Amino acid sequence: MEERIKVSNLVKRFGTFTAVHDVSFTVHENEFFSLLGPSGCGKTTTLRCISGLEQPTEGEIHISGQLVTSPEKNVMVPPERRGIGMVFQNYAVWPHMTVEQNMSYPLRLAKRPKEEINAKMAYLLDLLELEGLERRFPSELSGGQQQRVALGRALSTDPRVMLLDEPLSNLDAKLREQMRFELKDIQRKTGISILYVTHDQVEAMAMSDRVAVMNSGKVVQEGAPHDIYETPKDKFVADFIGTMNFVPCSVTGKTEKGIDIRLRGGAEFGLDGSSVNKGDYILAIRPEDIILGTEQGVECEVDVRIFLGNVIEYRVRIGEDLLRVQTNSSMRFEPGDRTRAFIQNGLVFPK
Amino acid sequence: MIRLNTDTAVGRRSMDVRYVFMAIIGLFFLVVIVYPLSLVVVKSFSSEAGFTFENYVKIFSESANLKAFWNSIWVSSLSTLICVAVGTILAMLVVRTDIPGKSWLRMLLLLPYGIPPFIGAMAWAQLFGPVGYVSKLYMTLTGATSAPWNIYSAAGVVLVLAVYQFPVVFITVSGALGKIDTSLEEAARMSGAGPFRTLIDVTMPLITPAITASALLAFVGCISNFGIPALLGFRARFFVLTTKIYSALSIPDMPLATAMAVILAITSGIPLILERRLERGQSRYTVIAGKSVRPQTMSLGGWRIPVFIIVVLVSLFAGVVPLISMLLTSFLKYWGAPLNLANMTTSHYKYILDLPMASRAFRNSLFLAVSAATITMAVGALVSYMSVRAKIKGAKTLDFVGTIPYAVPCTMVAIAMILAWSRPPVMLYGTIWVILAAYLVRYMPFSIRTTNATLQQVHVSLEEAARVSGAGWTQTMRDIVMPLIKPGLIAGWILVFMPALRELTMSVLLWSQGAETIGVVIYNMQDAGYTQIAAALSTIVLLVILAGNAIVRKLSKGEISM
Repeated sequence: MEERIKVSNLVKRFGTFTAVHDVSFTVHENEFFSLLGPSGCGKTTTLRCISGLEQPTEGEIHISGQLVTSPEKNVMVPPERRGIGMVFQNYAVWPHMTVEQNMSYPLRLAKRPKEEINAKMAYLLDLLELEGLERRFPSELSGGQQQRVALGRALSTDPRVMLLDEPLSNLDAKLREQMRFELKDIQRKTGISILYVTHDQVEAMAMSDRVAVMNSGKVVQEGAPHDIYETPKDKFVADFIGTMNFVPCSVTGKTEKGIDIRLRGGAEFGLDGSSVNKGDYILAIRPEDIILGTEQGVECEVDVRIFLGNVIEYRVRIGEDLLRVQTNSSMRFEPGDRTRAFIQNGLVFPK
Repeated sequence: MIRLNTDTAVGRRSMDVRYVFMAIIGLFFLVVIVYPLSLVVVKSFSSEAGFTFENYVKIFSESANLKAFWNSIWVSSLSTLICVAVGTILAMLVVRTDIPGKSWLRMLLLLPYGIPPFIGAMAWAQLFGPVGYVSKLYMTLTGATSAPWNIYSAAGVVLVLAVYQFPVVFITVSGALGKIDTSLEEAARMSGAGPFRTLIDVTMPLITPAITASALLAFVGCISNFGIPALLGFRARFFVLTTKIYSALSIPDMPLATAMAVILAITSGIPLILERRLERGQSRYTVIAGKSVRPQTMSLGGWRIPVFIIVVLVSLFAGVVPLISMLLTSFLKYWGAPLNLANMTTSHYKYILDLPMASRAFRNSLFLAVSAATITMAVGALVSYMSVRAKIKGAKTLDFVGTIPYAVPCTMVAIAMILAWSRPPVMLYGTIWVILAAYLVRYMPFSIRTTNATLQQVHVSLEEAARVSGAGWTQTMRDIVMPLIKPGLIAGWILVFMPALRELTMSVLLWSQGAETIGVVIYNMQDAGYTQIAAALSTIVLLVILAGNAIVRKLSKGEISM
């Protein structure tokens, strides 16, 4: 597959603060790639370096095979000549231009013939469901409509690469969910490569082909969403992606399939798939990986029950530890009930 | 139950007090503002025979009057044009380029804003007059017998007006530039526009409302200015409306003066109304604003230092050089003497100290400024509280009436005072009280504006939280509202005090023996040819202004300055 964005050993320092620290990744054609991480992790700075709005301190950036940024080689192609589309977090639609003027601006700059611009506008207005709003000013549009205008503007010149900086974070929950599908749909229809920056792990999981999780300026883990969810590389990723219980534990021995584990309260059970040496660790368990009311498993007491709609969440006491359990089983427990909990999956991380 | 009853009783009583206050202030506004101002309009349409258009006909048929009107228009327009060009370019350079020493430049460029325009005009006359410092320097350098320019001319008036009005444009435009969401410009770059195209297609349209608004304000500032055309225009027999009104009053031709004042009020009122409209129309330009990354600055490259030097020169000539010239002149033995230490003396300051008129003027101005600031702030605070916070019916009307004088030029206010207070039963004309009355009218709008802004910053929930915690209305006022608005009130007080202290236009039309103000004494000294005495007095006033400015900056943490 063709490489659309290639970032190699990117470093960006602001004074003494290192915002981006040796970041490398590649986005291929037709790929939806997300940079995911908490605020201040360097994801937006990385994106801005790719766009050319920010100059990195070190490293190289290639777009569609062409070197566009390299401080070492003194290469810095200005943003307007990189041929990429970008959608800003606050949409950045121009308040003094109508919807149509906003969306056709890049085409008019490129001096495309009028017929082509008109045809393109018709196509985009239809694709983004903005027909009838051509002559409106942005202040007369809803947040979702402004967002689509920004998207249309970025798409107008058929760029092969599009950068999106938290484009959905200003929308309300319902609209955000709808836009996720629409974005994914547009990407499939246009075959564009998308680099998507977000702090919302659900968003990244739902839309991406691949995700790079970033923390304090570094890429911690890169891979397909389900791989990252199932086998987080370290405690940070495990905590950041999805919900996770963390409890201190000790590994008491190795078995054929895995290891034996003892919790602080004395509860003991086996965990398949792991192989670490004896010692003290942190055990990470997903709430859906604890099954209540089984014959086998460790003793526990139900503390709280919370109804979440599609699932029920319990807070369950195992020895000294309080764990979250999520289930959609029809079996109901009341606070105070004593039962058994079977831990079917878990990961151990060094303390 | 019993507690509940007393509570409502207290609530009702405090409501009654508020209405009493409103009635008193309403009456006050009626007598002090509405009655005198409407007299001017009435008078302008009357003659001995009754209602007439004769006075207006006289303006537009007599060539001298008509000429003054046109002079006002073109001088103000040209000055405004210069203000807009210079102010906008400087704002762009200071906010959006990598020019060095930005905060210093900003301070230098804002300096003329704090200098009273008539003192500025004196300083410019000292610099560029026939024997001015710069003129003499030119003659020495070139060997010419006279400088190729004449500051006492229409061109001089235009130039000096521009110098003292361009900070309005600079402040407004740099504020707008700083507030632009930078992602709007970045989006243009991502759409394929280079830096220059981005400036033309995105940045300029976004700051156009700010430029237009500041141009309108600068125009109003120019057309209603008296000191500059008086000091630089009289000698060349170059008249504008304000100076023509002054002459009409000294004849005296009251009907003509009133009619010209009304014409002046209309020509300066229309731009103010337009400016208000523009401010309200801004909502079209509001879109969702996101976190703004630090403003992008354009690199000037090799031009960085040359541009810096030009900007420094411009800002020095706008502010610092006139100040230095004033200081030098105040120590000079006689006007025109060569600049050297042997020709320096402190005798002018000694002379001022011994001059009864000077000390009387300082006392008068101090009294007037303190009284005007205190009364207008107290009334302003009450009006604001009732309109902004309590939202009592009718308070909005009070607010409106109190801000009418904002659109009324000082000359018209002065004429209104003469008409209203120079006949029985209230004979204030010829005393200091008529000047105080004029100040109250003129500065009321400024007070109401600051108190409104200050009160709007105290969220109503803070007051409500106090009420819920068990504090009554008076206690809430004392414990919560007053401490929170105190810095704003003090800053506002000084913002009235300072311009009142050096007021010229109204005082010069209303003063009398024993009721001189500092502005009047300086003006008369300069007019009579005592340049050094005027300079010494001005230097003292400028020092007071600089000190006051520093205090305001400190109190408002840099948000307000003069």
